[in-house]
Amino acid sequence: MKYLDKSIIELHQLLKEKKIKPIELVEEAFERIENNKELNAYITLNKEEAKKQAYELENKEVDNILFGIPIAIKDNIVTKDLRTTCASRMLENFIPIYDATVIEKIKSQNMIIIGKTNMDEFAMGSSSRTSYFNPPKNPWNKEKIAGGSSGGSAATIAARDLPLALGTDTGGSIRQPASYCGIVGMKPTYGRVSRFGLVAFASSLDQIGPMSRNVYENALLLNAIVGKDEKDLTSALKESEDFTRLINQDITGMKIAVPNYFLSDIVSEEIRNKIKEIINMLENSGVTVDYLDVKYLENAVTLYQIIAMGEASSNLARFDGIRYGHSKENPENIDDLYYGSRQEGFGKEVKRRIMVGSYLLSGKNAKQYYNKALSIRDDMKKELTKVFEKYDFIIGPTTTTTAYNLTDSMDDPLKSFMDDVLVIPVNMAGLPGLSLPVGFSSDNMPIGLHIIGNNFEEAKIYQLASFIEKKLNLNLNPRGDQ
Amino acid sequence: MTNYIPTIGIEVHVELKTKTKIFSSSLNGYGEMANSLTNVVDLGYPGTLPTLNEEVVNLAIKAATVLNCKIRRKMHFDRKNYFYPDNPKNYQITQSRTPIGYDGYVEININGTTKKIEIEEMHIEEDTCKSTHRGNKTLLDFNRAGVPLIEIVTKPCITSSEEAKLYLEKLKELLFYSDISDCKMEEGSMRADANVSIRKNLSDPFGTKCEIKNIGSISNVALSIEKEIARQIRLIEAGKTFKEETRRYDDKLGDTVLMRVKETGNDYRYFPEPDIPYLFITDEMIKNVEETIPMLPDERRKIYLEKGVSEVNANKLVQNKSLSDYFNTLLTENTNFKIASNLLLGDISAYLNKQEKQITQTTLTKERFLELINKIEDDSLTSKNFKDILDAILESTKSIEEIVTEKGISNIIDDSALREIIKKIIIDNPDSLADYKNGHDRAIKFFMGQVMKETKGSANPKLAMEILKEELN
Repeated sequence: MKYLDKSIIELHQLLKEKKIKPIELVEEAFERIENNKELNAYITLNKEEAKKQAYELENKEVDNILFGIPIAIKDNIVTKDLRTTCASRMLENFIPIYDATVIEKIKSQNMIIIGKTNMDEFAMGSSSRTSYFNPPKNPWNKEKIAGGSSGGSAATIAARDLPLALGTDTGGSIRQPASYCGIVGMKPTYGRVSRFGLVAFASSLDQIGPMSRNVYENALLLNAIVGKDEKDLTSALKESEDFTRLINQDITGMKIAVPNYFLSDIVSEEIRNKIKEIINMLENSGVTVDYLDVKYLENAVTLYQIIAMGEASSNLARFDGIRYGHSKENPENIDDLYYGSRQEGFGKEVKRRIMVGSYLLSGKNAKQYYNKALSIRDDMKKELTKVFEKYDFIIGPTTTTTAYNLTDSMDDPLKSFMDDVLVIPVNMAGLPGLSLPVGFSSDNMPIGLHIIGNNFEEAKIYQLASFIEKKLNLNLNPRGDQ
Repeated sequence: MTNYIPTIGIEVHVELKTKTKIFSSSLNGYGEMANSLTNVVDLGYPGTLPTLNEEVVNLAIKAATVLNCKIRRKMHFDRKNYFYPDNPKNYQITQSRTPIGYDGYVEININGTTKKIEIEEMHIEEDTCKSTHRGNKTLLDFNRAGVPLIEIVTKPCITSSEEAKLYLEKLKELLFYSDISDCKMEEGSMRADANVSIRKNLSDPFGTKCEIKNIGSISNVALSIEKEIARQIRLIEAGKTFKEETRRYDDKLGDTVLMRVKETGNDYRYFPEPDIPYLFITDEMIKNVEETIPMLPDERRKIYLEKGVSEVNANKLVQNKSLSDYFNTLLTENTNFKIASNLLLGDISAYLNKQEKQITQTTLTKERFLELINKIEDDSLTSKNFKDILDAILESTKSIEEIVTEKGISNIIDDSALREIIKKIIIDNPDSLADYKNGHDRAIKFFMGQVMKETKGSANPKLAMEILKEELN
């Protein structure tokens, strides 16, 4: 039972030559998940359906590289007939009646959905500790957080339960847990992947993206999920492309910008040193690296809070106990139904964000905060886009620290946003960004490099990331065995 | 009692006649089984997103054009956030900051003069679902959720219930003629709210306004405004002050009743809808829409009057769009339009109503209708004859001439044949002839009656009377 340590290319070859059957991969995945149960990476497992599907695939032609490959899905992406909770009591028993567009795509490739991964409630948080179903743990150290909000997806990939997972990223929720868990996580350009079927947190920032053990497999999954979707007006009209196509191509002559803010003292010294090491390595490989001041980066968290919470307060209004989701029993009247259902159904952080968001959009505040935030956001977008006139990439660390303890205080609401201070600007600008594991801290926790590309230049990001990955050749299996 | 000046503003919601809903692919229909025209988008399911029905944008451009509005070229949608069971997402997608149309007007004729009712703005939004209250339960029908609406808001420039009524009639006519909405107030596809306040002098600030919501017919709009004005006068005359209220018109009571006192700071937390990108209206889009606008009622009335149609008939024709459209096909012809309008609005309309048919569903082609008009005009067909052969005219494809011949009425109206019949009648009724000679008027009526009886009503009465008088004398 060692198939799932193999690369997807190898698995594909074995499936194609009928040397293994999809059911073997599925059973192995469930076995590994069972062995790693204490990671609490999953909210719901899709055991029966996944096995049934695996058997059905035995009679089908292995027609694409992801055929029969097990995948985990973050639990805020709706899956028909498979419980989708958003890690909330509100949706504890919610069985969707339709598939998200990305799920349709995954099913059309005959990938096998193994389960729904743990996360922060409605993706609100950066440690997955706001989950109604208890937090997932970091496979590198089970005392530590897996990060968030896509903590379950990051943990299950890092633990080598299976090769691929989908996460979602509103303000770093793919890249930050990827960094904490030592895996590869990509937030594609806003509009690259359809949001239809992603339970909205902040509509203008949300994006679905791939999480994987390595760069190449990340690009493979991105290949499978992109495309214009008529059901999502914000999805981009882009020809499909092969995101692996630039991998292994020469990077000599490329130009990289490093904003001074990204290596300022908000970042731990250990991480700063690791990133500088990488920069040196790149410079020695024929890449130009310039340090520069990029305006507005330090405002990103504030802008994010206003925009994300404002939008969230509206997006989560639909959970009222009437049509689906948690509903207060025997309400006295309609107000009692609203108050009761939402009071019982939502956790503390979600309520806090709804309240702050509602406040920010109230009366004069909308102009003073939300509209102003949108306008500064435009400026920030322009400022970042300007960098790409001269440079191929912006890089820096993904996080300011490595994963911290699960028991650390959650009392400071700002702390959770500061975890994402380096990744949020990318969402604000709609740009693609990837976190790549580049080393370990003194206490053996992974450190991530953040690579930001220009709009729709994911392929180029993979080119640089795979170059570094190859150069470093790290052992990223927390159990140590390759 | 002092005279007060009323200030009235009217908001109208109109459901657009589209095939599908505004933000989903569900059908837009009325009277279907509850919740049969719904999908996950209409129900506000988690993860769903709105799409935008292009037909809605085109109809809104059309409405803006016929209401003489300026059209905004770059617009977005906004979310209006409020909790209500009929509001599936608990926000309504509407246009708050960038309504598609603004600064328009509608002209009404009041007491012989033309007045412009100014339109502040018109915007696109989605309808809510329909709630029905049964005891302590509320039933929700989401068929209406997501039906496209335009809301048309006037400036507070209306000063009487009569103006309000004329404005709504005109609005309805324009939207109906342009095929934007079927404007059925009884089915809720057109709904009106009126804001009413009064003050003593034009130089005074506006008085406290009250809003009368969801009035079910145009006549009730007029009635409710009158009642509301009277109520406010009573309060002010009694030295009382009152707060801004939302009221409704109670048909049985014949008066407005309080729904709720408006609270200050009604806060809808508007913000730009992030799920729908900016929309750009191009010259080409506007041009394409303009080409689909038919001749509007005012122009039709003007032309009909010029063609010799009476004012009453001109108005009646315009009230019936399919007849008016049919009538318009004659406009290039040289015919008697007065007779044409009489025929269409008289016996033909009666037939159509009885058969529940449209004129286009009969066999009366333009050519046959022109033939018919000619026959009536040159008296070769009387109105009685016409009535007798009406069914054949509207149901067979034979020429009018053929029908007339077939029914055996053509020879009778021949001059000499009629004279022979009349002569015989006079000879057969010597008593009546004597009466006539003695100056009894009723005798001539008796003879005419006999003539009609003998000719089965096919004689031209004018001609028959002439011949009768000649023969009697």
